[in-house]
Amino acid sequence: MSNFNKYQCSVCDHIYDEALGDPDSGIEPGTLWEDILEYWVCPECGAEKSAFVLMP
Amino acid sequence: MRIVIIGSGIAGITFAEKMHTLNQGAEITVLTKETDGYYSRPILSHGFSKQDIEQSIIMKTFAQLEQNGIHIISGTEVTAIDRKQRTLTISGGDDVVATLNYDQLILAQGSAAFIPPPFLTYRNQFYVFNSLTDLKLLRKFRHSVREHNKSLSWAIIGGGLIGCELASDLNAAGDQVTIFHAMDRLMERQLVAEDSLNLLKHFQSCGVNILLDQAVQSFEHQGDKVSVLIKDTAENKGYDAVIVSCGFKPRTELAEDAGLETSRGIRVNNFLQTNDENIYALGDVAQLPDEKIYAFIMPIRSQALWLAAYLNGDITEPWSPPVFNPKAKVHGFTAEHPYIF
Repeated sequence: MSNFNKYQCSVCDHIYDEALGDPDSGIEPGTLWEDILEYWVCPECGAEKSAFVLMP
Repeated sequence: MRIVIIGSGIAGITFAEKMHTLNQGAEITVLTKETDGYYSRPILSHGFSKQDIEQSIIMKTFAQLEQNGIHIISGTEVTAIDRKQRTLTISGGDDVVATLNYDQLILAQGSAAFIPPPFLTYRNQFYVFNSLTDLKLLRKFRHSVREHNKSLSWAIIGGGLIGCELASDLNAAGDQVTIFHAMDRLMERQLVAEDSLNLLKHFQSCGVNILLDQAVQSFEHQGDKVSVLIKDTAENKGYDAVIVSCGFKPRTELAEDAGLETSRGIRVNNFLQTNDENIYALGDVAQLPDEKIYAFIMPIRSQALWLAAYLNGDITEPWSPPVFNPKAKVHGFTAEHPYIF
């Protein structure tokens, strides 16, 4: 069982899965949410990191 | 400096918020027909598979935006622009104002559902899917049918991006869905032929019924069912409801009446400026010199952030579209090739 969380963009519903990271933006798989720099944006819609919410 | 924005979607509010952070002294007013708050339209596409959508879709209430320094006049309609006097005529709303002055006007009214003219005669026989108001109506209807029997059957007219997203979400929510598409393949504007075929197979494996090359003529209510009448065929299956999803139509009427240049959208130059130097347009109401209307969130947000910085004097280069990869919200489907835009 993994301890990775998922965060969802409130603007476009894109999901950031810590297990998968965001390789296209240089975020390695396994990167925790708090380790992503503040200027990272949603790869789908460009919304800022603060627009994401932790998924239940 | 008084900046007035018409429209409270992603384009209008992203611009307003950015403008406020760049220039706290600017007086920013947003005029909107909406009353529910600031919500993100793309989230509508998950409107049936999510339970709490009516609340969760609201990103900020209008009260929250007011607290952030943006004045919102909601439930109001702008009926005329007087370009000489730089005033707007508005009706309805909480504030009892008949006219409002602007120094700069930002048009961000977005688009409405496009209804093919032959269908207009049957307007009370089908739904459209373009706003939170539409979604609420559909959810209410769906709930009322589900209270009485089990699952619903829907006919969706149009197998473009929104029609496919809608079909996918209703299917995911447990309903029967049939798509009637006029063309010979799904999402032909966004997908290469191979991906259209993959999407078709994907839908078939989920139990969504896809009918291609369908020249839908009209709709007919029989009891509590609606039939879709096709040219040269006597298909007479009844559906619980029909949703017409045949594309979008930028809301250009106000601009047109004011003598601004319009085509499919409101014509702007690469600085998002209309042919009136004090009036700008952005989002899916604006048509750029490359003839494109940028209807996806990524470029719309980019336009909004660019325009705020430009009007604040921070940048002088024209807006240019960002690199973006649009993606349809079809549950479980990923295209193999990039989307066409």
